[in-house]
Amino acid sequence: MATSALPPLRAKPKHLGLIRSLVRFVAELRDAVVQAVRSLLAHKLRAALTIAGVAVGIMAVIIIFMVEAGMASSFAKQLNSLGPNTLYVHKWAWGVNGKDWWKLRNRPTVGQLDYRALVANTKLALAIAPVAETEAVVVHGDKELKNIEVNGTTEAFLESGGWQLRRGRFISDLDHELGSDACVIGADLEDAVFKDQDPLGQRLKVGPTTRCTVVGSLVRKGSAFGRTQDGLLVMPLSSFLRSFGAKRGLVIAVVAPAGKVMETEDEIVSVMRAARRLGPDQDDNFSVNRQDKILQGFNQTMMSVNIVGILVGVITAAVAGIGIMNILLVSVKERTREIGIRRALGARRASILMQFLCEAVLVALLGGALGVALGAGSAALIDILSPMPASIDPRVVAGGVIGSCILGAVFGLWPALSAAFLHPIEALRHE
Amino acid sequence: MALIELDHIGKMYDLGLSKVAALRDIHFAIEPGELVAIIGQSGSGKSTLMNILGCLDVPTTGRYRLAGRDVSELSDDELADARNLEIGFIFQSFQLLPRASALENVELPLIYRGISKKERRERAIDALERVQLADRMTHKPTELSGGQRQRVAIARALVTQPSLLLADEPTGNLDSRTGEEIVGLFLDLHRKGNTIVLVTHEPKLAARCPRAVRIVDGLVIADGPGRDVAMANAEAMGAEVVAQVLAAQAAAEAHAKDA
Repeated sequence: MATSALPPLRAKPKHLGLIRSLVRFVAELRDAVVQAVRSLLAHKLRAALTIAGVAVGIMAVIIIFMVEAGMASSFAKQLNSLGPNTLYVHKWAWGVNGKDWWKLRNRPTVGQLDYRALVANTKLALAIAPVAETEAVVVHGDKELKNIEVNGTTEAFLESGGWQLRRGRFISDLDHELGSDACVIGADLEDAVFKDQDPLGQRLKVGPTTRCTVVGSLVRKGSAFGRTQDGLLVMPLSSFLRSFGAKRGLVIAVVAPAGKVMETEDEIVSVMRAARRLGPDQDDNFSVNRQDKILQGFNQTMMSVNIVGILVGVITAAVAGIGIMNILLVSVKERTREIGIRRALGARRASILMQFLCEAVLVALLGGALGVALGAGSAALIDILSPMPASIDPRVVAGGVIGSCILGAVFGLWPALSAAFLHPIEALRHE
Repeated sequence: MALIELDHIGKMYDLGLSKVAALRDIHFAIEPGELVAIIGQSGSGKSTLMNILGCLDVPTTGRYRLAGRDVSELSDDELADARNLEIGFIFQSFQLLPRASALENVELPLIYRGISKKERRERAIDALERVQLADRMTHKPTELSGGQRQRVAIARALVTQPSLLLADEPTGNLDSRTGEEIVGLFLDLHRKGNTIVLVTHEPKLAARCPRAVRIVDGLVIADGPGRDVAMANAEAMGAEVVAQVLAAQAAAEAHAKDA
């Protein structure tokens, strides 16, 4: 037997120095990971099942949050199509729940007097468009289209709704003054009635008696809140009221300058109150609606979706975590001798704890990574197959990975502690 | 100064209803460089003594000083560090990590010493060379014979340069020829100045050690040159066998009479 030619190990310190502790920690960590990989590879099926469990859980959570984000972003887009700075003066308040219905029902309708008062007295508003609306049948030759949204309005409509002209011109204030038969049609209507021909100058029959001449058409705006916005026909307000009845209520769209929406709202309220001669002790008998009122209703819906999402997340995390705990308890049982050996060779309790936490985190991490991959895959699939835009946020990826690590550590803690607190002698004797 | 000082060591196990004394008043010392066999039958308390010597357990009474340091009242972490620094364990059932190669097994205690990767490898290879296993370094324990596994375990014990090699029935799981090789290895290590404590129930093995301590019922009943202690042990065991045979004969006769 050859004698060692190597120098003796450095003098044995009572405590390891900082650098040695660091070297030891890194070496232990590396060893723990290697051993965890070996332990998983030794039982591939068992590991695969647990990993699959974690993956499905993480995927479920990712899909829920993705769908939620998709809903929110498409909602925000649709909301923007209403015109971000436009206020709507209306008899009804948006997003009102049932109990106020009776109160609102008895309000006077918003009418032309209100419109004139606003035009005359507001200073901030960039544009004010009175809009009356009804549904009517539109006929051209042998083509008949039902449920067309007919709007009676003025020139300001274009700006207040964020519309753009595709062909011809829009309704002018002169059309309104004269009560002309000019009308402008939406993209859906144009495509349906005047496929491959110029709509300008064509005659349409709107409702039972009215006839209009098409003077322009609008650029497609897309659908909002599940229905198309492009199937509309716009005519001068005066013509509309003549045809469909003068007592119809209006919605008055007021475009506020950017950043002055609040001031504009205040101005509208005071003008309206003055016009309606409301005393100081009387409530408003009209509503000034803003997009964020819709947003409030939407947020309430999203909150319940969120709660469901969180609940599903917690449940799947618990199921996946129990899977991790199970595989780890089995692993601790199997590796009991190894624990004894390591303890005999100088491993502290913390080393053993780290050893098994590493295994738990590794399982969870593999599951998390797979879950994120599956989640990204289903995002791509949803994006292709459904109209809802779906994309995977890098924060979701990070959250999935970090979340699964935490999951592994939390559910691995108890088995790892039980391993760390095994008595070395008992562990060594374990068969 | 003695390497090991056992000062009236006692160990009680609390079994709930009763207390069992595994060790009672063990008192001896071991000097650096000694090769000492601790012999005794199963249940004699020799395993408990070995666990205490190896810092795996602490005595309930008395003091145990290892390399000048009282280890009777160390915390769990301090005991772990003491095992890493002072003790090299060699077990009857080898106790190698099954999924790690021979080299990785030998490197393991150096991880807990905070030795860098390069030096770990260097020292582990060196230790394996010293037990003539340099050509089996990458083999897993399952790919090695019993004798080779025990050599890996010895290399693992040597690699930390411990003050004490503690071997628990090191030849117990080996056939007599490989057992003989391992004994030769221990004698060689002893000649090179290592302090070794061999725990065994084989008088034959104890007889080859310069010093043997015999434990019966938790008490040291003989401490002297290995040969003498082993002989006394054999006689005692012989007497016991005779007594047992006589008792069995008497029982058989009684049984015959009844029938």
